[in-house]
Amino acid sequence: MNLPDYQVLPAPLWLITSLHLLTLALHFIAMNFVVGGLVLVLAYRAQDRWCNPVILRFVRLFPIVMAATVTFGVAPLLFLQLVYGRFIYAASIVSAWFWLAVVGVVIASYYALYAASFSNRLSARKVCLAVALIGAVYVSLAYSSVFSMMERPELVKQLYAEDQSGLVWNPRFKDYLLRWLHMMAGALTIGGFFASSVAVGNPASPDPGRRFFLWGMVLGFLTGLAYLFSLGEVIGPFMRSPAIWVLAPGLVLSLLSVWFYHRRNLVIAGGALSLSMLAMVFSRHSVRLLQLEGHFDPSAVPVRPQWTVFALFLVCFLVALILGSYMLRVFFRRAESRQT
Amino acid sequence: MHYPFWDVGIGYGILMAAVAVPHVFVSHFAIGGGLYLIVAEHAARRAGDDRHLAYLERLSRFFVLVTLVFGALTGVGIWFIIGLLNPAATEALIHTFVWGWAIEWTFFIVEILAAALYYYGWRHMAPRDHMVLGWIYFAAAWLSLFVINGILTFMLTPGKWLRTGSFWDGFFNPTFWPSLVFRTGVCVMLAGLFSLLIASREEPADFRARLLRRNSAWGITGLAIMAPSFFWYWRAILGQVPSTAVQGMTTPVYWIHLSYWLAAVIAAALILFGLLLARRLHVAVAAILMALGLAWFGAFEWFRESVRKPFIISGYMYGNALEVAREPIYRKNAYLRFISCPSGDEAADLFRHACRSCHTVNGYKALKPAFDGTDTAFIAAIVKSTDLLRGSMPPFWGSAQEADLIAAHIRDRVDTRHLSEIYGLHGSELGKKVYDVRCGGCHRIGGATDKTGSLAGLADADYEGLLDMASELGEGMPAFTGDAAERAALIQYFKTLKHGGAE
Repeated sequence: MNLPDYQVLPAPLWLITSLHLLTLALHFIAMNFVVGGLVLVLAYRAQDRWCNPVILRFVRLFPIVMAATVTFGVAPLLFLQLVYGRFIYAASIVSAWFWLAVVGVVIASYYALYAASFSNRLSARKVCLAVALIGAVYVSLAYSSVFSMMERPELVKQLYAEDQSGLVWNPRFKDYLLRWLHMMAGALTIGGFFASSVAVGNPASPDPGRRFFLWGMVLGFLTGLAYLFSLGEVIGPFMRSPAIWVLAPGLVLSLLSVWFYHRRNLVIAGGALSLSMLAMVFSRHSVRLLQLEGHFDPSAVPVRPQWTVFALFLVCFLVALILGSYMLRVFFRRAESRQT
Repeated sequence: MHYPFWDVGIGYGILMAAVAVPHVFVSHFAIGGGLYLIVAEHAARRAGDDRHLAYLERLSRFFVLVTLVFGALTGVGIWFIIGLLNPAATEALIHTFVWGWAIEWTFFIVEILAAALYYYGWRHMAPRDHMVLGWIYFAAAWLSLFVINGILTFMLTPGKWLRTGSFWDGFFNPTFWPSLVFRTGVCVMLAGLFSLLIASREEPADFRARLLRRNSAWGITGLAIMAPSFFWYWRAILGQVPSTAVQGMTTPVYWIHLSYWLAAVIAAALILFGLLLARRLHVAVAAILMALGLAWFGAFEWFRESVRKPFIISGYMYGNALEVAREPIYRKNAYLRFISCPSGDEAADLFRHACRSCHTVNGYKALKPAFDGTDTAFIAAIVKSTDLLRGSMPPFWGSAQEADLIAAHIRDRVDTRHLSEIYGLHGSELGKKVYDVRCGGCHRIGGATDKTGSLAGLADADYEGLLDMASELGEGMPAFTGDAAERAALIQYFKTLKHGGAE
């Protein structure tokens, strides 16, 4: 019997890549809200922290945004595994315990966020938020370690040959430390941006986000630049690739977001920030392709589209959007009518 | 073999169960609990029962904390663990069903949002709007079961997909519908058990008794749905496997019987403590009932996993990631050249890829008791004919040299003393041990391939002859390579055998 071959893509590569990048950008925005927001809340002046309604609102929002982080994180990993499964599985096996621990750590962080949002004891609240932040830092580092490792198949083989227990952490820190710092700086920017957005509704309270937004942006530029120059042999091909035509507008959009943020036009600033995030995600993806050059060409994988199922996915996605907006409208309509 | 193998001391089955069983327990509760909440809210609002509504609000907090966090994240955990334990199968599933998972993801978005808003909306939303959110939650949660059920049942009974490769053939496979009905019943039962536990701490007693009766009725209803649908499910499985294979299903059948007993105990306890003695139901009894529910569901999931053996995707990929379609390639080229991440120890690599998915040396499904006191030639013979061992192991398509390497690897890790030394046995007792170790792997007395009938009542010379030509007696039969003492003891044991399997 001729059994079906699974080494095919169920949609054209451009479509899978687009969905991967789009959902990854959404995941990063939600994740940055949580990570940046946690830093922001914990770094806020201790004596004023729990008097600022923006901070209190943030603490209540954390569990919801964490849910969004997890939900939006599922799709990009799915699409990544679809195309680059051979590399991500291999890298995650080398670091298996650290990879698997991500799940437990996220559960602990998530419960800590709920505990903080339910707790009336201020000291307990602070401890819970600190626990959640430590968890988030671990997860981001573990992900950076594994996702960097997957781009070096020879390193994966070498590390596995030395140790098969799954207790290996990617030792090539220079591959991912600057990128991780860049992500953390981006988290401060996004966290600061959302804090300022929440502060709009509380004009009497000081805006805790401004400092974080601006400093996060400066640090993001510096670490991003340092990361770019740390790419070594890949930097040349990257500069010559179409990715540079995405990265450059992305940088401009970041600067524009600062400009509009300064003018308190947060809608446009947020739009520019989101688009610049998408540009960064695209650039990062291009670096991955360059790193894997010679090992894997995703465009060489045969395509056998499942259009009917894909169409059903689109319908379901549309229905999810409609239902989501309906539910939010119903929820906030009542809240608003009660306030008035 | 194009992936490295995670060589962890714990058995893969244990690791998988540790993540999967808690998840399936909570995820089914997440569906049934959603239905329970909304149906109960309707009833409470119709009756104007504020106390009941307050209880439901408390229950929904517990519900959100358990399902949105633990349930959702352990679901991600299953995805992580299958990628570590069997990346090739995960890859095959994702390539086949990625849009199915993407569809489930859209339901997941709705589910998460609806659950959160439902919980936060108790105090300020209009009752009708609040209940609409509840229904949306339940619909999204059940639809996510609908999708994942298609993928899970595909692994057991891929049906026409093996010929067509069509998504829909794989998804709506022969066990899809019975499994869906069965799992819906599980959701309802678990909703009853979870809410029973929460309600058992409520005060005052009248209110508690009313809740307990209601919740027990949910549990019993779930069981009532499950019983016929399980029968349907089992019939559908039997329709997909040859009757000879069913004879070898000793493990699945054991788990089925266990699950019958557990279900009967749960039903009896629900009727007795939940309906008849509701006023006296202690929180400890409710906790035991929930633990029984967990045990029962664990038994079912164990059954489902074991009935699929030796495959991870029936008819397509074996549990150790060997693809059925690649048999000619492996038979021609053997395994070693395909191991993409070698560790430098060829024997260890072969052992990992051929055996370690299921076996450890000392722990879970240990090989040591099976090979203590044996020799490399015997182990190699067994390695070469694994698929003949009760039919629940993948075949070995490597070369004879590779089988020898695996055998040497195992032999280095087991007790190499003679069986008589290891167990301190002599005479026919030693002979029985020799039989169990060297023959019993295939010819279990009382089993499908019991050879007692042809062994009983022969003369010494016949037994000697049989042992001399053991390797010629049938496909995969190993030569008798025990020492003279073991040989004599085995013959002594043969002489104790009687026709019909009795000793």
